[in-house]
Order: sequence, then structure tokens, then C-alpha cells
Amino acid sequence: MPSPPKRFALIARLALQDLWHDRQVSLCIAAALVAVIAPLLLLFGLKHGVISQLQRELLDDPRNLEVRMLTSGSYDNAWLANLREQPEVGFVIGQTRSLNTQADLLKDAQHFVKGAELIPSAPGDPLLADTARHPEDARVILSEPAARRLEVAEGDRLTLAVSRRFDEQLERGRLEIEVAGILEAARFPRPAAFVALPLLIELERFRDGHASPLLGVENGLARGDYPLRYARARIYAKEGDAVKGLVKRLEEQNIDTSSRLAEIENVRAINKVLELVFGVIAATALAGCMASMSGAFLANIDRKRREYAVLRLLGFQRPAIATFLAVQVGLLTLLAFAVGLGLFALGSAVFNRALATSYMAAGVVSHITPTHAVIALLLTLGVGLLVVVVGVARAYGIQPSESLREA
Amino acid sequence: MLSLTELRVARGEGHERHEVHLPRLSLAAGHVAAIVGPSGCGKSTLLEAMGLLLAPSALHSFTLGTPSQDIAALQRAGDERALASIRSRDIGFLLQNGGLLPFLSVRDNIALPRRLLGLPEHSERVVHACATLGLNALLNKRPGALSIGERQRTAFVRAMAHEPRLLLADEPTAALDPASGERLFGLIVSLVKELDMAALVVSHDYTLVAQFQLPRLAATLTPGGCRFAFAA
Repeated sequence: MPSPPKRFALIARLALQDLWHDRQVSLCIAAALVAVIAPLLLLFGLKHGVISQLQRELLDDPRNLEVRMLTSGSYDNAWLANLREQPEVGFVIGQTRSLNTQADLLKDAQHFVKGAELIPSAPGDPLLADTARHPEDARVILSEPAARRLEVAEGDRLTLAVSRRFDEQLERGRLEIEVAGILEAARFPRPAAFVALPLLIELERFRDGHASPLLGVENGLARGDYPLRYARARIYAKEGDAVKGLVKRLEEQNIDTSSRLAEIENVRAINKVLELVFGVIAATALAGCMASMSGAFLANIDRKRREYAVLRLLGFQRPAIATFLAVQVGLLTLLAFAVGLGLFALGSAVFNRALATSYMAAGVVSHITPTHAVIALLLTLGVGLLVVVVGVARAYGIQPSESLREA
Repeated sequence: MLSLTELRVARGEGHERHEVHLPRLSLAAGHVAAIVGPSGCGKSTLLEAMGLLLAPSALHSFTLGTPSQDIAALQRAGDERALASIRSRDIGFLLQNGGLLPFLSVRDNIALPRRLLGLPEHSERVVHACATLGLNALLNKRPGALSIGERQRTAFVRAMAHEPRLLLADEPTAALDPASGERLFGLIVSLVKELDMAALVVSHDYTLVAQFQLPRLAATLTPGGCRFAFAA
């Protein structure tokens, strides 16, 4: 007896020679599989493309992650810290007022913005993610409308001014600030400056009548126990799927919110429906493919019954016949998968070219990830395995003595 | 080489039961015996039993080869693996229609039994047989491209390629015209003699059997079966 690897090589070679000899039938069997694999991959690729495009659009805009507090209250740092710890939360920063604090931005007599919004920010702010900068000390990020009106660019210096009425007198605090970055108008359409929270608090303290050497006003209160409370907070969920939980968590604290939950849920619902549609189609197609491939293969085994009987007569045991069939089905399956993948690539290219020019579906591409391809391959091999089981069940009954009898 | 007593093989159940009985058979190396009888008397059944493809209902003794292997004991013990191993190693089958694998060339068909057994592929006997039977020009052809006579000659070489001790042939000339049949028959008889095998050939061609003066295991119908014995 030859060693098992040599035996396997011999059986595999015979199986291959048989497939090649009968290539028309082999191709028919493989084609049945290709006819299922390629459309399923295309359908799945398109579904995956549409959904990931929708999700990308959602996630690209940080406003979709924002949960706005509609009610304002009085929250301390501990409350914020606790909120920051929640798994759904991506970014939290306190806002000192229910409406944004305002200040004047001045470059010179011709270029100034009165009453620009001051928005607290910190590292990790999703709104500033694209600029890859964050405000620090006297460095601020300007929204594009503010920068345009001031005609400033990154690195330029300007003056930030706030006024207060103290002891019946109008006092003006000033601070020289530097433009650390500019946020595109799509992200924030009004003139605004994103500032570090300590600076914002310093401005509030000044407004409330405290002395502020930073702003150049020595006059005023000098209490060390300024009560640090926040009216609201800018809250962002970690990801689209976390918005729902975050809204629920805030509502439990009787905080009314507004968010883009509906849009997010929409995408999720579309995904679910498409998944169901795809699942049903895939299951039907795979079942049909199983049936047709098994049928073709069983007919093939019956047709070659005498050949199998001769192989048995020559010393092939039943496991050898099973190996012979498994090699054949395995090869046909792999061939069909490779061709199916190729056709998918072609079809995808057509889709992507056609969709790229269509306004409706701009950006939608049909594609699958390597993981998807591996899963598809495993599914295909699964179908092949079932076909092998059916075939082996049929071939097990073939006796060597059948080769002696005339049909 | 081959010695056997009291072999009974049954086919079918109840009313349909047909029992083939071979009281005694011994065959020396280099000898060919013919199994003859009318259609349906059980020639093929007997051949299957001798080829260890069919379990006998009764068997007194059955030894094969030198040193002799006790096949009767294995049959009684029901040792299928050992029987299958003896079948593939020590017995060669020459089928009525050749039984060649259509997807292999003549060369590969002939080489298959040796490969399956892990024997070295080159064999002087095979080279000699191919030359004698005029197969050298056909080695790269597929069976589909051969005449029936060429196919049967190829099948014969395949049946003896792994150097079995016993060759069982099931009406090897049935599909051939008389001249080709005679030629194949003659080649089988002379090669078996030359290679020291023993051979049993089922045939209903009495003329051929008589022409080569082969001992005949002839069938006699009995109630519920058939009995085979050497005819005078």
C-alpha cells in the first residue's frame, strides 16, 4: 500500500483527470454554481455599498451624533464627569449659558465681528475633528464665516473683547488671541469662535463682576469660590448606534433632547429590510443551487456507476471513493467561486461606473470586504460539502461486483 | 496454486433461489481452465465467488498462491479488509467489456493497479505483455479511440499488470469477431503460461475452448441450482 499522502495524490489526480475528460458536464455543474454565486455577490455588494454609504454620510457629519439638551438646568463638573463615563458618550463639554456666550472679535477698524458666538471646546470635539486642532489658552478656532468677515487666516492674531456694566460704568475686557484653525462653514454656518473652557469661564467671571487680570481689568470682585455651574452641555454620542441609548439616558433624568435619531433609525431600518430581502433571496438561491448541483452530480454518479465499480474492483475502498467525489466537488466549487468572484468584480465595475454619474446615487459603490468574500467562500464550500454528502451516500452503495455485470 | 473444495454460492431468496455448487477445483500455475455453460446457469456468480466479491453460503477449503493463503478461514471470520486486500493484490479481473476507465490513457489504465498497490511503475512483465499484444503504439490513446479488440487487449494487460496469481476473465471475447477473439484467447493462454499465473475464463464459445484444448468446468443443471465439474 502506498503512503496516505501518495494515495491521496493518486486519487486526486484520477479525480482531476475524470473531471477534465468530462469537462462539458463538469462545466455545466460549475456553471450552475456560478449562476448563483455571481448575482448573490453583486446583490450583496450593492446592499453593502448602499448601507455603508448611508452610514458614512451619517457619521461624516458630527451633527448626527449630537444630542442637544433642550432644557437647561444647573449641572456641576461631577455630573459632566459622570456623563462622560457612560459607554454611549463620545464627547461632553459644559456650556455656561443656555444660549451661547457672545463676544466681539476685532482685527482692525474695518474688520470685526460683533457678538460672535463663543463655543467651548476641548480635544476630541467631533465638530473640530476635521481640522485636527483644538483651542488652547488664547488660541481659538474660528468658524469660516467669522474668519471670512475678519479676513484672517491661521496664525493671525486678533482681539477678543467683552463688555460689562460694573458700578454703573461700562467696562471692556480685552484679550489678544491667535487663530489656531478655521472650521468650514458646512460644520458651523454662523460666525463663531471655539474656545477652551477655562477661557470661557474667565469671560463669565468677568461678566459677573470679577476682576480679570487676563482681560486687563483689575477692577471688581475677587472671590475665590466662584460657583462653577453649567446650564447645558454639548453632548456627542460615540457612534450612530449609541445615540438611542444616550437619548434614553438623558430622558431618564428628565432632560428633553433633540437629535437626529430618526435619520439614524431610518438607515438602520433600511439596513434591516435590505438584509431580510437579501437573506431570503440568498437562501432561496442557495437551496435551488444545492438541488440543481446535487441533481447534476447524482445523475453524473449514476452515469459513471460502472467506472466507480471498476475503481472499487481495482482496490478503491469506500473512503477512497468519497475522497474522489470530495476532490471533484471541491475543485468545481472553487472554480465556480473564482469565476463568480471575477464576474462580481466585472459587474461591480459596471455598477460603480454607472452610479458615479447618477446624481441620486452619487458615492454609492458596490463592494465587499475580504471578510465577506471569505464568508461567501465558506458558504459555497458548505453547499459543496452537502453535495458531497449526497453523492457519497449514493456512491457508497456501489459494489465492485457491479463491474462484472452487463447493464 | 489454487485449490478449493465444496464451494456453494446462493443467489436470490425462496422460490428464486439459485445455488451454484463447485465440489472441487484445483488449478496449477501456468494453467487456464474454462467455465462453460448456458446463459443464466451461474457462471458469473461462480466467478464473483472466486474473485471474493460474493460471500459463499458454504465453503470447505479455499487456498490461493504459494505460500498458500487460507481464504476459507478469512471468509469464515468475515475479515472483509483482508479479503479486499487479497482481491486487489492477488487477483486480476478481465471484464467482458474491458472496464477501462475512459478518462485515463491506455498507459495510465495499465499503470493504475500497480500505482494503487504502491508497486514500482516499471514492470518487465508489463513491457513484455504490451509488446506481445501490440499495444505500444496505443499507449497514449484514450480507450474511446480504440477498437473493441484493442480495448480487450489493454484490459488484459491491466488485469495482469500487478502480477496477480489468479486471473479471472468474464467472457473476454464475447464482443469480438471470431478472428480477434481467437487471437486474444491465444495471447491469454500463452501469457498465463509464460508468467506462471492461473486463470479461469468464463466462455460460451465452445469452439475456442476446444481449439485451445482447455479443461472445461462445465455446468450441470440440478434442482434449484447448478453444479460445476470438470468435463471429460
